[in-house]
Amino acid sequence: MSNPLEEVGHKWGMVIDQDLCTGCQACVTACAMENNIAFVGEQDAAYGRSLQWIRVERFWEGEFPEVKSTPFQPVLCQQCGQAPCEPVCPVYASVHSENQQINIQVYNRCVGTRYCANNCPYQARVFNWRDYREPGPLDNALNPDVTVRRRGIMEKCTFCVQRIVQGEDTARAEGRQMADGEVVPACAQACPTEAIVFGRLDDPDSLVSRLKRDGRAVQLLEELGTQPSVTYLKGGSSYGRNG
Amino acid sequence: MLQRLKLLERLQNLARRPIFWIVTGLFTILLAAGVGSGIRSMQAPPPQPLDFNHQVHVGLGIQCLYCHPGAWRQAAAGLPTTAKCWGCHQQMANTKPAQQVLVAYAMAGESIPWVPVFIQPDFVYFNHRPHIAAGLNCENCHGEISRQTVAQPIPRQNMGWCLDCHRGRAAGDEQMLARLTDCATCHR
Repeated sequence: MSNPLEEVGHKWGMVIDQDLCTGCQACVTACAMENNIAFVGEQDAAYGRSLQWIRVERFWEGEFPEVKSTPFQPVLCQQCGQAPCEPVCPVYASVHSENQQINIQVYNRCVGTRYCANNCPYQARVFNWRDYREPGPLDNALNPDVTVRRRGIMEKCTFCVQRIVQGEDTARAEGRQMADGEVVPACAQACPTEAIVFGRLDDPDSLVSRLKRDGRAVQLLEELGTQPSVTYLKGGSSYGRNG
Repeated sequence: MLQRLKLLERLQNLARRPIFWIVTGLFTILLAAGVGSGIRSMQAPPPQPLDFNHQVHVGLGIQCLYCHPGAWRQAAAGLPTTAKCWGCHQQMANTKPAQQVLVAYAMAGESIPWVPVFIQPDFVYFNHRPHIAAGLNCENCHGEISRQTVAQPIPRQNMGWCLDCHRGRAAGDEQMLARLTDCATCHR
């Protein structure tokens, strides 16, 4: 007997090719613009209160000065199938979307206990320590399709769910199936090397499914059994940096 | 114990003085008036730049979608521009007060600052298109606008009200229920 949850909606997923990533931070910037993510300023950033739904991790291997940098690793919410953030929320603000097969944060339910962020093994969740929004002309650049979060709210990557919903609605309005690559989140759209690929995992022929079957595929902290929707490709490419 | 007795005694003394009852009474009246006017203002139609008569326009056979065409294909139904009003009204004798307000806006070439009546909170992303596509009529949610002059809001159009209809529509269809009750369908 199949799981009824698996039959509804689409299962969205992402593949990030670390051998292609140049660490240019375009995804970070595009994400902030798309999702109304506030700039916290130097002081709060020093306190570790930066608001970033996606960050580019850089690791070093070996002892200084013989260090070798590993490929850049953009880390975002892994949209786990078995998400550790979900069962700990006392107000059901961190819920699993049966329709999109992602984890969503319901801002108007969130009371800011931060349990979810503490239970997230990927540190993908960020907390609004203040109302960072300031009056000014930059407010005109806010995306009207995304809620502006207020102080005391936990937030995280949504796989640009506003674009997913919009894409599904457009396809339904035109009476057709969604094409592969029709919905592109801001990070994938901005990526100059096309290292980030987004699409439907329930469609075996989509680009993201084919890349996921690549021999280089790994998932972050696989041993935790979180069943992430994000897959990383690493190693075996001719794109070697630092040898 | 002694302190508590003293406090009780002072309260009793206070209750004997008429000023205590006057102040308490005034406070209660003010509170009731505040609550009452608050509830009233929530359910009263907002003041509009001109008293648009829906009943007359619908009675003339004008479709809702003629003035609110966005409902057909996008999220917001939209409010008519001055040019749309003027398209018909320039051929009429505009004698009524509301019509003269329209004439003033049209002559000045300004848009009419309509006040939206059916508003949702900022965290609700309502889209008219799928509702019309699902076969709903305007009056299913907006009430009998065709019998009203200025559009009246419907009280308690909240999430429970939305979900009641969504659950009813998706009865027996797991896939549709998942889609219609998904948080991300309305909240992003």
